[in-house]
Amino acid sequence: MVVLAGVSVIVFALVHLVPGDPIRLALGTRFDQATYDALRARSGLDQPLVEQFFGWFGRALGGDLGVSFRSGETVTSLIAERLPATLTLAFASILVALLIAVPLGTISALRPRSFVDRVATVLSQIGISVPEFWMAIVLILVFAGTLGWLPSGGYVPLTEDPGAWAQRLLLPAVVTGVVSGSVITRFVRSSVLEALGADHVRTAQAKGLPQRQVFTWHVLRNALLPLVTVTGVQLAYLLSGVVVVEIVFSWPGLGQLALQAVQARDYPVLQGAILLFAVVFLLINLVVDLLYTAIDPRIRR
Amino acid sequence: MTATAAGEPLLEVEDLRVRLRTPRGPASVVNGLSYSVRRGETVAVVGESGSGKSVSVLALLGLLPARVATVTGAARLDGEDLLGMSPERLRQVRGPGVGMVFQDPMTSLNPVLTIGRQLVEGIRAHGEVSKAEARERAAGLLTEVGLPDPERALDRYPHELSGGMRQRVVIAIALSNSPSLLIADEATTALDVTVQAQILDLVEKLRTDHGTGVIWITHDLGVVAGIADRVLVMYGGRCVEDGTVDDVLERPAHPYTRGLLGALPDLATADEGELATIPGTPPAPTDLPTGCVFWPRCPVRGDARCETEQPPLQVVGAGVTKGLPHRAATWCGEGGAR
Repeated sequence: MVVLAGVSVIVFALVHLVPGDPIRLALGTRFDQATYDALRARSGLDQPLVEQFFGWFGRALGGDLGVSFRSGETVTSLIAERLPATLTLAFASILVALLIAVPLGTISALRPRSFVDRVATVLSQIGISVPEFWMAIVLILVFAGTLGWLPSGGYVPLTEDPGAWAQRLLLPAVVTGVVSGSVITRFVRSSVLEALGADHVRTAQAKGLPQRQVFTWHVLRNALLPLVTVTGVQLAYLLSGVVVVEIVFSWPGLGQLALQAVQARDYPVLQGAILLFAVVFLLINLVVDLLYTAIDPRIRR
Repeated sequence: MTATAAGEPLLEVEDLRVRLRTPRGPASVVNGLSYSVRRGETVAVVGESGSGKSVSVLALLGLLPARVATVTGAARLDGEDLLGMSPERLRQVRGPGVGMVFQDPMTSLNPVLTIGRQLVEGIRAHGEVSKAEARERAAGLLTEVGLPDPERALDRYPHELSGGMRQRVVIAIALSNSPSLLIADEATTALDVTVQAQILDLVEKLRTDHGTGVIWITHDLGVVAGIADRVLVMYGGRCVEDGTVDDVLERPAHPYTRGLLGALPDLATADEGELATIPGTPPAPTDLPTGCVFWPRCPVRGDARCETEQPPLQVVGAGVTKGLPHRAATWCGEGGAR
């Protein structure tokens, strides 16, 4: 809670520090002083900044994040509208990432410097360094254009049409999943490698455990902690919206919402979105901490 | 400690050689090591760090990473070839055939699994035993190694136990399948003397009750005098001297053994002077000297052959005591050229 209050102050300050006047932007060429003043008064922007903050913060505590300057909708409804799409993409991406990273990283660690390891290293380097928008465009060209197997973008809720939902989800999930997966692969490789070299693995072998059991319980089990950490970080990143991918695939997620809010200097929406990202980050950290204690008895107490 | 020489050979090692691939080139860590251990016999292996003691026993059980280690020679446990064994057969031998106690109790247990689990999985890996039964046996083993409140210890994690307690758990694991050979690699080095004495007593009891053969790797010559029947002195990956404890410790024939004994603090004469040390450092296994491995540090070198020809292990001194030969690999001649 203390953290959230701090985040709120910083967010509020930063948002208002950005040059540009939302009312002036909204009025554009139809500018006249009277309307401008009226709108300013209605949105509360004529108040001193400190007062604006406490007003906003007080309402935010009650769950009211204000009204968008641009559309007049409440910020909570705007976020609620975008949240399912973001959640869907984030979790699908992390699934893709883990499906790539865990097997690939493990095999690399088991056969360091082997052909597979080298290929995995090169692939994950490429995955980390290739720009997402480029990968997204290439995939669209191939699978939506040339092959025509998948739609090039858009979002359909699962409840409406599961088939269309999956079709539209696949490409963006692969793009973000490959990027996250590349990062996670490196972590899996190094943590499995480290676990393999631990003394207790030799003890396990020396008592005559089958190789598979040694690997599952004395290597993988111990490599789990760093995996949970990095997965949490990646998930937090994905949940705060992957702007570029959302734009390329016209995916109506929070990243796009935040970007539009920045462009329009739509303070309430921007503040609401960033506050939400902070909450998400804290929640994920909490979950990761809880998982830690479940995984490693040394942290329990 | 009387030598129970009557036992039949349990472990026979012949010309064991281990080469490791290291970043600084190939290292000859064990160079033609031959020895045997009989049932109910305790053989102490002594030598400085890096003399190849640990590697030589790890090699027997295939516990060296295959990517970096090349093991040649022969090793037979109860007549069965250890080095050429199928992986599955080797797995079956680890545990009931050979139990191994590792050096560092702080790292040799898995930190995320309970003590009970780590004992039970070892017991259940060798034969159809129910979980409850294995747990009961595990508790019994912990009692045997002198762990207080074994039932509770089973549900604890390694970090909740002290170093001494953990080492007893490691020993309990090694004993859990009643091995015919127990290898203890610096098993008591990390423990305080009273705990060490308890562990030594326990091993002594096993040896007399079950006829367990024991290889005790240590650099504590006090422990050697206390528990071993025979001693094998290793230097530069070779056995430079072996024989009964009395022969080797009382009448050392190799200048290196004499150096080791000279470096031992003697309570009777401790009031003055410094400890004798062996000048120089042990040879790097990547760059072993030709001839006798010890010559660059040897205080009595002089024979022309020292620097060129490797001395064979020959019977020395009083020769054979109770059927056990006293041998040394040196050109220094009978009883040493002192």
